Amino acid sequence: MFLTRSEYDRGVNTFSPEGRLFQVEYAIEAIKLGSTTVGVKTPEGVVLAVEKRVQSPLLESSSIEKIMEIDGHLGCAMSGLTADARTMIDHARVTSQNHAFTYDERIKVESVTQAVCDLALRFGESVHDEDAMMSRPFGVALLIAGIDELGPQLFHTDPSGTFVRYEAKAIGSGSEAAQTELQDKWHSQMTLREAQTLTLRVLKQVMEEKLDHHNVQLAQVTPQAGFEILDEVRLKEIVDAM
Amino acid sequence: MPDGSYERPQQRQFNPYSENGGTILAIAGADFSVIAGDTRQSEGYSIQTRYAPKVFRLTERAVLAVNGFAADGNMFVKKVKQRLEWYRHAHAKDMPLRAIARLIQTMLYAQRFFPYYVYNILGGIEEDGTGAVYSFDPVGSYEREACRAAGAAQSLVQPFLDNQIYFKNQTPAPGTNHPTHLPLPDVLSIVIDSFTSATERHIEVGDGLEIYVVLAKGRSTQELASIGGLQELSTRAEGDRMFVIRRDLKKD
Amino acid sequence: MSIMQYNGGSVIAMVGKDCVAIASDLRLGNQSLGISSNFEKIFAMTERTYVGLPGLATDVTTLHEQLRYRLNMYTIKEERTMEPETFIHLVSSTLYEKRWGPYFIEPVLAGMQKTPSGAFRPFVASTDLIGCINFAKDFVVAGTASEKLFGVAEGLWEPDLEPEDLFETISQTLLNAVDRDAYSGWGAVVHVITKDKVVKRTLKGRMD
Repeated sequence: MFLTRSEYDRGVNTFSPEGRLFQVEYAIEAIKLGSTTVGVKTPEGVVLAVEKRVQSPLLESSSIEKIMEIDGHLGCAMSGLTADARTMIDHARVTSQNHAFTYDERIKVESVTQAVCDLALRFGESVHDEDAMMSRPFGVALLIAGIDELGPQLFHTDPSGTFVRYEAKAIGSGSEAAQTELQDKWHSQMTLREAQTLTLRVLKQVMEEKLDHHNVQLAQVTPQAGFEILDEVRLKEIVDAM
Repeated sequence: MPDGSYERPQQRQFNPYSENGGTILAIAGADFSVIAGDTRQSEGYSIQTRYAPKVFRLTERAVLAVNGFAADGNMFVKKVKQRLEWYRHAHAKDMPLRAIARLIQTMLYAQRFFPYYVYNILGGIEEDGTGAVYSFDPVGSYEREACRAAGAAQSLVQPFLDNQIYFKNQTPAPGTNHPTHLPLPDVLSIVIDSFTSATERHIEVGDGLEIYVVLAKGRSTQELASIGGLQELSTRAEGDRMFVIRRDLKKD
Repeated sequence: MSIMQYNGGSVIAMVGKDCVAIASDLRLGNQSLGISSNFEKIFAMTERTYVGLPGLATDVTTLHEQLRYRLNMYTIKEERTMEPETFIHLVSSTLYEKRWGPYFIEPVLAGMQKTPSGAFRPFVASTDLIGCINFAKDFVVAGTASEKLFGVAEGLWEPDLEPEDLFETISQTLLNAVDRDAYSGWGAVVHVITKDKVVKRTLKGRMD
């Protein structure tokens, strides 16, 4: 796709003659280098799973944070330049708390997703009296999982600021193969447990290292318990049962 | 009082607030809510107008009554309505009543150091179908209650409501209990009696009365059938229903 | 801070069918501090004339004694009992004498007035602190909870209540009104006056 570079791909907010914003597209490419992340929605809740990609045996795997809580009923998983996601997640958290403070209710999943995506295109050069903008687009995609009055929902966001709702979605380096597998195996009446097993199986297929409870992480959002990242005990139990 | 004499130093200052009189009242039932206000607007001993509404429809199921300084009251209602519209566009739904109540608190407190001189009472149907009344002070302190009176005749009406709605200082007949919620016709009678009493004894109350009645979805409108001069505000028969009842009050 | 609110307290009188009732709370305070739950403000001036004196407590006592003095002088000289309608005029002139340094009291009166035919009719009246008389047909109120008393009374009162019903009505009026006033309460008493007897009852109410 980008074999022939043109001179329109350097300027962060310059359109090319065909009407493309190359920097945004390149940012989306960056995510394809990221660790694989999978999300699956079921009537019982939403499951998120990430490949931790532990580069060295000396690396403390518990310090890798690729799934983060946004609020009691919302969480998200990231893939790509994960450092970029911290700003986005913080914004999501603040938005969620502001909403609860102002309206005494939990924010809708789509509303918090929209709030995150509103940040995406705020890059470029800032005018003198305007707030400073980012120098470049975010290089990370998010899978936002949550439950509101419309039930469990899963959204995918990317650097272009677009968000799309999915029943099941995979992002990152193994996403192509993973997505095909999800399309094959997902059905609308899955239980949470089946979804957990499915996401891990999908990760197992695309991961280079052998999958164990140290190099993956599982999280879920359910109506009863809200958002939780599964602890080592529960994770090991599911991995072993696989 | 500054009078231009030279006896001592004097200073004049613009007073941004004034008091426009009037009284509002709201009572919550099991599956309905009643919000009422007189229509007189006064300043001192003068009547500015015999018809200035103080009770406003916000959504299909929420009604806001504002009393105190009319300019602030009217402006506040406009701003609340605007926020409701923005919320509808952002979140694709109507704001639930408890969310409106919380929003009103944050809007009032935002003006903590130059307050809206308004006592608000919000009434309507909660998300769970129950009747609700929320009352506020000018800087946003709020609480959900079964009934509340505010305004010039608050001190006249509230103790009457304590006795008639909460049955304070009354013991039930042996073996029975006081009802937790009163039926709609009783509540309407109490509202009308409260305003006729307030009109008798308070000069700033009178001219006209507007009563908004909000009924939860599915609740029968039978009890309102016999009421004259009823106007329906709701647009759909399957949703929550809203009606207005207008009555005259003494004009002296 | 107003002198009329310094000690707290409220009184109400109501007209019924061939009867009157007068009721008050029992509180005496020093601003927010409650001192006595036993401070009576209603006094029997004659057999059929009762006066309630809410306001500054020292003036309650002084004014009562002043009125008693003047009433006694009248009774001795005229060799007859003073009627309520006359008594309220006595109250009015006594207060107006102090026009430029008044008693801080707003008296409330209830009694049975003798008619030319020898029967009795119910009579209530009140004055402001400088003696302007209000001849009411229904009820009169005074004290720190006066606005609350107006509100409840206007809602509950109706004409021609029998003594038992008048008792209930005035009691509910007083209790619910003083419960909304921090400076009134701490006990309550009600006198129901008919042509033959006076029944004094103490009410059970909130003591906070």
